[in-house]
Amino acid sequence: MELYINSAGIISAAGNNIGEGYLSTHDYNTTALYSADADYKAYIPVMQLRRMSKAVRMGVVASKVAMQKAGVAKPDAITVGTAYGCLQDTERFLDKMVNQDEQMLTPTAFIQSTHNTVSGQIALLSKCNGHNLTFVHKGHSFEHALIDAQMYLEDNNSGGVLVGGIDELTENSINALQLGGVGTNESLSTENVIRGGNKGAVIGEGAAFFYITKQPVADKYIKINALNIFKSTDESKAVDRIKSFVNALTDIDTVLLGDNGGNSSSLLYNKLVESAFPNIATAKFKHLCGEFPTASSFALGMLSQYVEIGEMPIELNAPAKHIVLINNFKQYYSCWGLELSV
Amino acid sequence: MSTKAHIVNTGIITSIGDNTEMCLRSLLEGKSGVGKAEYLSTYWKDELPVCEVKKTNEELAAITNINSSYPRTALLSAIAVQEVLGGYDLSGLRIGFFSANTVGGMDLTESVYGEFKDNPETADFNNIRHHECGAITELVAEHFDISDFVTTISTACSSSANSIMMAVKMIEKGMLDVAVAGGADSMSKFTLNGFNTLMILDKEPCQPFDNNRRGLNLGEGAGYVLLMSNEAMQRCSANSICIVNGYANANDAYHQTASSPDGIGNKLAMSNALKKAGLQPKDVDYINLHGTGTANNDSSEGKAVQDIFEGTIPKASSTKAYTGHTLGAAGGVEAVFSTLSIRDGIVYPNMRWQTQMEDIDWGVVTELQTGQDIKHVLSNSFGFGGNCSSLVFSKI
Repeated sequence: MELYINSAGIISAAGNNIGEGYLSTHDYNTTALYSADADYKAYIPVMQLRRMSKAVRMGVVASKVAMQKAGVAKPDAITVGTAYGCLQDTERFLDKMVNQDEQMLTPTAFIQSTHNTVSGQIALLSKCNGHNLTFVHKGHSFEHALIDAQMYLEDNNSGGVLVGGIDELTENSINALQLGGVGTNESLSTENVIRGGNKGAVIGEGAAFFYITKQPVADKYIKINALNIFKSTDESKAVDRIKSFVNALTDIDTVLLGDNGGNSSSLLYNKLVESAFPNIATAKFKHLCGEFPTASSFALGMLSQYVEIGEMPIELNAPAKHIVLINNFKQYYSCWGLELSV
Repeated sequence: MSTKAHIVNTGIITSIGDNTEMCLRSLLEGKSGVGKAEYLSTYWKDELPVCEVKKTNEELAAITNINSSYPRTALLSAIAVQEVLGGYDLSGLRIGFFSANTVGGMDLTESVYGEFKDNPETADFNNIRHHECGAITELVAEHFDISDFVTTISTACSSSANSIMMAVKMIEKGMLDVAVAGGADSMSKFTLNGFNTLMILDKEPCQPFDNNRRGLNLGEGAGYVLLMSNEAMQRCSANSICIVNGYANANDAYHQTASSPDGIGNKLAMSNALKKAGLQPKDVDYINLHGTGTANNDSSEGKAVQDIFEGTIPKASSTKAYTGHTLGAAGGVEAVFSTLSIRDGIVYPNMRWQTQMEDIDWGVVTELQTGQDIKHVLSNSFGFGGNCSSLVFSKI
């Protein structure tokens, strides 16, 4: 794979990169991290904003920020990954349907509950008639959107694709993730999450969009040299696959780990570091954004901010040029070989 | 490009049949699947006809020996996947599963939502566990042990045309040898009520492309094609029925649910798919229309076809009067019908058509045509979010 990330728009619990905004560390004591408030009005007229659920707001604004930073008015194609889709609107319609016994319902929430609402809205607002797909495949949703973008760019030698990862939280989804064994039901602090070994993860949400091309647009970029994704329920097999991915790369400055601080996650990543790269510097990022299926997009967004302004909420080993990102959401793994041009 | 993606087999279940040959027989005999809801428990069952697969979840699960407590969409998907996999020995080949759906596990979620919201600890979590669209695909992939590349696309009513498009690309690029591609969707109260609020459901059996059309009937089902590279086909001693020769996705960028009056996205999808296939409009022998039966879709699609094919409109029909609109399955179901059109030389009639549409100057095929030489079929799938997809199937 050889793709260039030229810009990013990020909305997350660790802040956003709208205007002068940037991501930063934050202290909390919670079970779930909602994305921090952003100035959506700067990008979306108030009347339209009122009708948009959080997922749509986050997605549309993140996409606009990415396009603005790349200096493009509209992309050639749009691909989006979202495991859960538009939960807030889904629940809004479901709630009324159940409580009102299927009567006196209105269409707005139903319309916006469709999984491709965000990619459709971005197309509508940027008047982009191009290729437009939405992937909803659990912890690989964002990665599949990127693979689709890669194929699009290969077939259409020029142009740029807007690629995004997005997932939103609701009270019900937090409950479901706790019952499903991912989320912690005890409040955890930032330090707890960094230290790891907790009963579960702090659940998160967010949106990150990227303007992606086959050739860099400017001097500053992230080059994606390699992306390897796989599903594995066997942790030792997963460790072996990650190990062979890392061994094929040279000059790694830092390995960025998707350790969510939950017990099983900490064990996996500790084992991985010990056996695969004990002498390479590592860093973690999920204490910033929380755990969610499209969290790889947050990590890439954070690195994009570093490329853009030279700052980010975690420290990377100098010269911070070759970064490996290892992430997983449950049994869905992704390994990224990245080259930063600052 | 090193290889084309060949369709070597089909798998389908809809309200008009549990497999390819049963569906084909219904198409030939003019049997529609529309009727009163018997399996979906809804307030609207006497008012809004639907196209249900006439089996309980237990009966569906028994066909593939899958867990009957899974969402109905997974049960339908498994049946069509079992058929499409056929008896081929695929060992040693890289296999992908590209499945689309829009409803996920909503049929189960909606049954327990009220209780879950009030008391998540006591509600049956098994009815929430598989809520995500991606869960449906994973349950079926696990059942058939497909793991090389597994993905779920959800772009409303064009979902499974897009999953076929992506599968074809990955085979053409040599990233996979074999792919099962299409989609599935079951009935749910959520979907029925959602479409009902949009006031686009017909209270009678639907009449696509008729001047007096009143809306669509919702349907359920699953449809997949088995795609192989040249090499995989040789290794499996499989025969090519046709190839997926062209494909395109475009966005109407007009409205979240409605199509633009002139079908901008529709035209782009059709013309780009033909361009990809290296074909001229006059080369197309049959168009399987999206043709839902709503005033808006059929008018936009009709005008787009008129513009693209300029005076020489190929034979064209919608098959949704038979199956209803199966949403996330529709592109897969109609890919199967398009494949059979080429295989058997058939053009399906646009059932229940009575009156010519006033805003277009061409008409749909109204009588069954057999013994035709069908070389190229164009299949349209258009959805919410302006999502427009066209696929071109060609005999080689």
